[in-house]
Amino acid sequence: MRGLALEIGTNPLSLAEIIARLHATFAGELEELKPQEPDTVTGRCAAAKLKAVAARLRDQDEVGYGTLNLIAGVDYVTHMETVYHLYSWQTNTYLELHVVLPANDAQIDTVCDVWPSAEWLEREAWDMFGIRFLEHPDLRRILLKDDFVGHPLRKDYVDSIENHPHV
Amino acid sequence: MSDGATARSRSRYPKLENFERPNVITTTTDFIFSWARSHSVFPFQYGLACCAIEMLSSGFCRFDIARYGMEIFRPTPRQCDLMIVAGTLNEKMAPVLKRLYDQMSEPKWVISMGACANSGGPFYDGYNVVNGVDKVVPVDVYIPGCPPRPEALFQGLLELQKKIQQHSFVAASPSVDGDIGGR
Repeated sequence: MRGLALEIGTNPLSLAEIIARLHATFAGELEELKPQEPDTVTGRCAAAKLKAVAARLRDQDEVGYGTLNLIAGVDYVTHMETVYHLYSWQTNTYLELHVVLPANDAQIDTVCDVWPSAEWLEREAWDMFGIRFLEHPDLRRILLKDDFVGHPLRKDYVDSIENHPHV
Repeated sequence: MSDGATARSRSRYPKLENFERPNVITTTTDFIFSWARSHSVFPFQYGLACCAIEMLSSGFCRFDIARYGMEIFRPTPRQCDLMIVAGTLNEKMAPVLKRLYDQMSEPKWVISMGACANSGGPFYDGYNVVNGVDKVVPVDVYIPGCPPRPEALFQGLLELQKKIQQHSFVAASPSVDGDIGGR
């Protein structure tokens, strides 16, 4: 993993070139790769393949995604999603990786071992959406108090009095 | 305020004719202590959200909270007697607020600054928001606004000064539990 300020954009590639390289390396694993101007590639990945893809995404030569900026949870009611916002120092571009999860049993492998920043990001997604990250080293709530009931950003969350002891 | 009330409150302050000899004045302990207290309040900087920005700007030269002798914001509750709760209090923070309040020494006062601290404000229905800091600690002065301007904070502080000046040692002394506070 390289990447300090001086190395930003040492390998300037267009989004189309990046997509071509990703297609070549991750055939059958990354799907629906599309450019999103000015600096982002969006794509999808099956939940079962994420663990295999993550380390190779980080370490590949020309477009290594060395930084995980954000893990977003999304509740679409019919299904759930985690969205990994990855950043590549060499090309100075982003990859927005969508992973679809089932609504009733949302769980996915952790990427903590690939990007250490994922530890708190995954705790936040667990806290807000109840997405379980398998083999996460310390999957506790991070923003809400430990005895909070439910996951408040889910669409089916109903506020309850037990989460408001001070009334 | 009627003229009579104005005259009464003014008569509490020492005037030139009260000085019987140079630098000697006869007054009551109640008056002199509450006067001193009300003009040397040590606020606890309890900024929780954007109201804290207004509270901090009160401390700098444009608004200058030092005019009221309250400029020494302390970062520890043990050196403070006024807690200015400035911002949204959430459920996870509430036990911390209570604990810090308990660590302040008597006599102590609380100002609730802004809509969130007063009632939860725009986040009233939030899943993690306490609907007013008065659910957790006793509040002396409420300042409305979202956020209140520094002038509003100053008016709240002046109202608090009036309240502090009503404090009496004599009335509080028969307390059974040894509490010296006049609350």
